[in-house]
Amino acid sequence: MILRLLSLLSAMTLALVVQTVSLTADETCQSPYMPKITGQEQFVYVWTLGMEGVGDESDKLVTVDVRPGSKTFGKVVNSHSVGGRHEAHHAGFTADRKYLWAGGLDTNNIYIYDVHTDPSKPKLDKTITTFVADTGGAVGPHTFYALPGRMMITALSNDKDNSGRTALVEYSNEGKYIATHWVPTDKDPRGAKIEKVADGYGYDVRVLPRKNVMLSSSFTGWSNYMMDFGQMLKDEEAMKRFGQTVTLWDLHTRQPKKVFHVPGSPLEIRWAWGDDANYAYTSTALTSKLWLIKEDDKGEWQATEVADIGDPSKIPLPVDISIGADDKTMWVNTFMDGKTRLFDVSNPEAPKQIYEKQIGNQVNMVSQSWDGDRVYFTSSLLANWDKKGDQNDQYLKAYTWDGKELKEQFEIDFVKEGLGRAHIMRFGSSELYTG
Amino acid sequence: MRTLLRALALLLVAGPLSAAALYAAAGPDWADDALKRVLAPPLGLPAIAHPAANPPTAAKIALGRKLFFDRRLSHNNTTSCAMCHVPEQGFTSNDLATPVGVEGRSVRRNTPTVLNIAYVDALFHDGRDPALETQYVAPITAFNEMANPSLGYVIDKIANLDDYNAPFQAAFGAGPSPDRLGQALAAYQRSLLAGASPFDRWRFGGESDALGERERQGFELFTGKAGCVACHAIGESSALFSDGLFHDTGYGWQREQERQGKGGMVEVEIAPGVITSIPHSVVQSVGNPPPADLGRYEVTQDPKDRWRFRTPSLRNVTLTAPYMHDGQLQRLDDVVAFYNAGGVPHDGLDERIKPLGLTVEEQVALVAFLKSLTGSNIDQLAAEARVEEPDNIR
Repeated sequence: MILRLLSLLSAMTLALVVQTVSLTADETCQSPYMPKITGQEQFVYVWTLGMEGVGDESDKLVTVDVRPGSKTFGKVVNSHSVGGRHEAHHAGFTADRKYLWAGGLDTNNIYIYDVHTDPSKPKLDKTITTFVADTGGAVGPHTFYALPGRMMITALSNDKDNSGRTALVEYSNEGKYIATHWVPTDKDPRGAKIEKVADGYGYDVRVLPRKNVMLSSSFTGWSNYMMDFGQMLKDEEAMKRFGQTVTLWDLHTRQPKKVFHVPGSPLEIRWAWGDDANYAYTSTALTSKLWLIKEDDKGEWQATEVADIGDPSKIPLPVDISIGADDKTMWVNTFMDGKTRLFDVSNPEAPKQIYEKQIGNQVNMVSQSWDGDRVYFTSSLLANWDKKGDQNDQYLKAYTWDGKELKEQFEIDFVKEGLGRAHIMRFGSSELYTG
Repeated sequence: MRTLLRALALLLVAGPLSAAALYAAAGPDWADDALKRVLAPPLGLPAIAHPAANPPTAAKIALGRKLFFDRRLSHNNTTSCAMCHVPEQGFTSNDLATPVGVEGRSVRRNTPTVLNIAYVDALFHDGRDPALETQYVAPITAFNEMANPSLGYVIDKIANLDDYNAPFQAAFGAGPSPDRLGQALAAYQRSLLAGASPFDRWRFGGESDALGERERQGFELFTGKAGCVACHAIGESSALFSDGLFHDTGYGWQREQERQGKGGMVEVEIAPGVITSIPHSVVQSVGNPPPADLGRYEVTQDPKDRWRFRTPSLRNVTLTAPYMHDGQLQRLDDVVAFYNAGGVPHDGLDERIKPLGLTVEEQVALVAFLKSLTGSNIDQLAAEARVEEPDNIR
C-alpha cells in the first residue's frame, strides 16, 4: 500500500511540475500536457467502426496522408483492423504523444497503438481486455485524456444494469490499472455540492491545471448508446435516461466538488486557452444549447446556458465542438442536419452563430489545425445511431478555412473504400519525434 | 504530509457499486436457503412440479446463478441473462420498453420477469418453449440477443473457462454439456420465488389487516366488476394471477396498425419535462423499421392465434414496468385504463375484453390492489443474485 501511495505521490508531483512548464497544447481540443503540432499535420488517424457488408467488417485505425505535395495526399496510406466490431469511438494520445489509445464502447477493449516509431503506419502495441474487471464494473471506455504518465478515461455505463451510472478511470501509460472514481450520485454525493440532481453519468473529461479543476460531462448508458436511434426516440423510458449534469472535480485529489444541472445530455467539454480564461464550454445534445462553465468573481464555478444551437425544437443534435486557439470562434456540428456551424465566442457570455455549411447527410466529429486554417470532418456518431439507407454517408472530408468560407480539399468515401464508419480524428506528425 | 496522504487515499476509493457493500444480506449459504425456498415456496405460491430429470440442488442453483450473471456467455462478452433481467428492477428492465442485444441489436418484445418463472409452462410471450431446461438456447444463440454462433460453441467456451470446472463437478459430477447448462440455469431461475405479499398474508395467511380498505375494494373489483380474475387466476390455496393461456386483447392488433401507419409527429422528451415533437420521417431516418409481431400465431401458424399473447402473472407487477408485450405502457394506471376502455375492438378480440365502466376511484382502487402483490422477499432475491460480482474477462 505504501508503495502504491508513493507511486501516486510521484505521479502527482510530476503533474504539478508539468503544469508549471507547459500550458501550450495541441490542436485546440487536446490535453494541455501534450506536445502540439505547431505547423502542418502530416497524418490524420481515423478510428473507424466496422460496418456489416463493408470491407472486412472490422473496427480499424485508418491513416490518411495530409502532407501537401505528397503523392498520396488525401489518400489512405494505412489501415489496421483489430478484428470484430467493438463500437470504436474515441481515441487519445498519451502525454508524450507516442501512443494512441483507442476504445470500444461495446466490448470495452482498449487498443494502444505506437504512433511514434512510424507515424505513417501505427502499430498495435498492446490491447487491454480487462477494463470492466479492473475497474470494478465500469463499462464503455470513452474519452482518453492525457495526464502526466497516465490516462484519465471516462466510462459511460456499468456492468450491473447498463445504465449511465459510471466512473472515471485511471491507467498508467504502460497500461496498468490505477484507480476508479465513481461519478457522484444523489445517494452517494461523495462530498460534492449538488445543484439539483446527481445522476452519476459520464462522457467527456477535461482539465484546467492552472485552477486545479477537472470537468466531466454526462451522456447515457450502454442500453441507449447501443440502441437503434429511431427505436430509442420512441421509447419513453429510454429517453428518461440521459445525463443532465456536469461535475466539477478537484484535479489533484479527484474529489468531486460540485454537480451542475445541465439538462439535455452535455457532451464535449472545451476549455478556453487564454491565460486568464477561466471558463469552458459544453453543448447539450438533446436540448441543443451551448453552456458556459465559468469561475465567477467570488471564485465560485457556475454553469450558464448561453446560446441555442440551430432550432432546438427540431433536435438538430449538436455533437462535436472545436474551439479556436484564440478563443474567438468555435465549430459546432449538428448531426441530424449534417451541418457545421461556426460561433463567434469572443464574448463567452453571448456566443453568436456567424457561418454554417452543409457537410453531408450527417456529420459528427470536427478537428481543426492549431492555426485554424484546416478543418476536418467525419460522419459517424454511433453504429446504431447513424442514418439509415441512402442517407448513411460515411466519410472523411478536409477543408481549408480562410475566415469566410470552408473550401473542400478532398473527401474519402469510407464505404467505397471498404473501411466502415468514420469516427474520431487525431493528428500525427513525424516532426514530433525528431530533434 | 498526513493531509497529502489522506488526499492520496481518495484516489483509491473503491467503487460504490461494490457488491460486498450493497448486498451483504446474502450469506455463503444462500444457495441452501434458495433450495429450501424451492422445496417449500413462500405463502401464496403452489408447490413446484420439478422435472424428474432435474431435481433441485444447492449446487445446481449456485452454478445457475453464476451462469446467469456471466457476460462471457454472449459472443462478444458484453451481455448476460442478468443484463436484461436486472435483479434490482424486478428481474426485468425498467429502463427500456424493449431490450437491446449484442452490438445493440433490437429485440422486439419487452423483457419478461423471471420472478416466479417456475410456474410458467409455455415460456416467452408467445409460449414457444415448454421448459426452462431448453428455453436458454433461444436467447443464447439468437443473433439479436447473445449472438453465439452455436450452442456447441458456448459449451466449448465454458469448458475452457477454469472457474467453471469446480461448480460443474459439484453440481453434476461432470463437465459442461447442453443438458447440464440448461438444468443449472433452470434450477436457479426456479428459485426466484417471490411471494408472501400483503395480498397473500390477507388471503392465505389469515391476516385480515394485511390489506387496507382500498386494496380490499380493488380485490372486489378484480374478482367482480372488472373481471380481471377471468385470466389472472386466483386459486383457493394459492394464486398465480395467470391462466397460462393466450389471449387477444386488441393491443397487439392496434400496434400493428400503428406500425403500418406512417407519418405524423412523434413526441420526444429531450430533458425532464421538456417535450418536443418531430416528424416521424426524422425518426425513420435514424431507425430501422420495427418488425411485425403476430404473437402466438408465429408458433402455431393458426390464424386464430394472431395477436394472442400469454397472460402474464400480476405478481410483483409494480416492479416490472413498463408493461404489455412491447413495453409501450409506462404505468399501471395506463394498463388499467386500456382494459377499462375495452381493449381495442376488432375481429378476434377475446370475448372477455369489453368496456368495464370503472370510475376513476375504482381504477385507483384496482391499482392499489395490484400494488399489494409484491413479494416480501424481493430484496433477499436481489441480494442472492448479487452475492458475487458479475463475471467479466479477467
